[in-house]
Amino acid sequence: MDKGAAICLRGAEAAEAAKALAIRLLEMGRNVERLDDDMLKRLGGVKRAAFVCGVLSRNGVFVVATARGIHAEGETLDVEIDGHDTPDFAAEKIIDSLAERGLLRLDAGQYTPEEEEVIRKRLADLGYVE
Amino acid sequence: MTGRQARRVLVVGLDCAAPRFLFGPDRFDLPNVQRLAANGCWGTLRSCDPPITVPAWACMTSGKDPGMLGCYGFRNRRDYSYDGMVTANASSIHEKRVWDILSRHGHKVVMLGVPQTYPVKPVNGWLVADFLAPDTQTDYTYPKTLKPELEKAIGSYLLDVKDFRTDEKDGLRERIFALMHNRFDAARYLIANKPWDFFMMVEMGVDRLHHAFWKYCDPLHPKFKPGNPYEGVFRNYYQAMDCRLGELLAMAGDDTVVMVVSDHGAKAMRGGVCINQWLIEKGWLCLRETPNGRTRIEDCTIDWPRTRAWASGGYYGRVFLNVEGREPQGVIPAADYDVCLYELIEAIEAMSGPDGQPLGNRALRPRDLYREVNGVPPDLLVYFGDLDWRSVGAVGFDGIYTFENDTGPDDANHDFDGIFIMDDGTKRGGKEQKGLQLMDVAPTILNLFGLTVPDDMQGKVIE
Repeated sequence: MDKGAAICLRGAEAAEAAKALAIRLLEMGRNVERLDDDMLKRLGGVKRAAFVCGVLSRNGVFVVATARGIHAEGETLDVEIDGHDTPDFAAEKIIDSLAERGLLRLDAGQYTPEEEEVIRKRLADLGYVE
Repeated sequence: MTGRQARRVLVVGLDCAAPRFLFGPDRFDLPNVQRLAANGCWGTLRSCDPPITVPAWACMTSGKDPGMLGCYGFRNRRDYSYDGMVTANASSIHEKRVWDILSRHGHKVVMLGVPQTYPVKPVNGWLVADFLAPDTQTDYTYPKTLKPELEKAIGSYLLDVKDFRTDEKDGLRERIFALMHNRFDAARYLIANKPWDFFMMVEMGVDRLHHAFWKYCDPLHPKFKPGNPYEGVFRNYYQAMDCRLGELLAMAGDDTVVMVVSDHGAKAMRGGVCINQWLIEKGWLCLRETPNGRTRIEDCTIDWPRTRAWASGGYYGRVFLNVEGREPQGVIPAADYDVCLYELIEAIEAMSGPDGQPLGNRALRPRDLYREVNGVPPDLLVYFGDLDWRSVGAVGFDGIYTFENDTGPDDANHDFDGIFIMDDGTKRGGKEQKGLQLMDVAPTILNLFGLTVPDDMQGKVIE
């Protein structure tokens, strides 16, 4: 099973970056849970939330946390969001960090079979391939 | 601009631009290009092996060779199966390219038409993808909102030249010029409307022009006819492009370091070597049925248990051995791999041309070319006649040599030397730089921004 992690985001733009990151991870076929202040309250406090983060990440889930005061158990990535970054670019940097830790494979983004054939024909017309 | 450290860097990539038209005795009158060269430095830029758009631009912008990138051409083997070929797009490049590094250091970047940027990935700025996007219905920009914005400003974004393989040259000429103007229109818009520290564009029209019109423009081409109606097409194109470059230079301002680069050059193509037909004749490749007419090797039924090697065509050849325990029906015992490979290298390099004279082929092993060999490389890269000849993968020809292209008219092959020009404000007075190579560009760009060059970049900073 793929490993997960708790990704704790901080900074003024953390909520927007968390949203962008969650979308990217879902697009990559990964399971994601958001942990914001509201969820923290429902879980009954930081201690219990940290424990839940640990359980989820052990089971392959990425927990994208913007709740304050979380010190998650297990695999954790703490990120201070650079206020100059767009949410998408901030998410991209986190994706890279997760890949460097071996928690994600960046092999998504290949063509569909139909697109592959369109491109192959184009490249053949151009003389690059046959 | 007063010093070497730049506030901004503008890189104008001209795919396939050949040194002879910019620096050599055949050079065209290109005031903007030549002013940059006269103010700064210039030289030929040795491409990678193979000298092909993919992987060349990725090598230039990552500072890594194709072996490190695990990318040996447009189409690469996904695994050791016989039919697992996939196109190398942005997702195939796992190494950081200069815009990734600059983005992570907070610099604003704009990328326009740089090969292997589709599917787009977020950057600290704006990105318009290259001709490897399937069509403009796809999300070919980052951010997505840039697509309608750009199309509103310039009309349709042209990914490439349509209907490239044609004998109808007037229309093709128009379309290639239109592609170039479209790319520069997009560049103008982005330069004017987006804040940037690093701007890189690649213009593909030069490559399309060379392949489509070489025999009309190069007196050294065997099919050249003086006084033909297209004799001036190269000059007209380069000069039109130079005018458009001048617009960008005026917009970029004097405090911008400017580079004009190409990924490889071009030369006259004499014909094609039918590599698979040759492998059949020499007993390396066996087909179950003789094809009826010219047939792509992928469409032939190969008798794998009786086949030791097969090949792919293109501007260079790629040969694959059928190795026991590696390929599904491999026949060459792993212990005999090197012996077989050397036997094949010797045979390929001993080939004579149609005139009986040695062709001067080179068959190269990836492990001798690259620092690391990642992914699934071909067993051999083959340059026929120092790239005077292309590699034809199809079978069903009358002989080993063909003077027609099986995919339509094409009169040029790639050459190893591209171009490099840099005006960085140090007023070097047109110094010619020797010994430059593709992977020097990325370290030079990082150095201009005062960033440390990563140890695993293979090039050197061009001083």
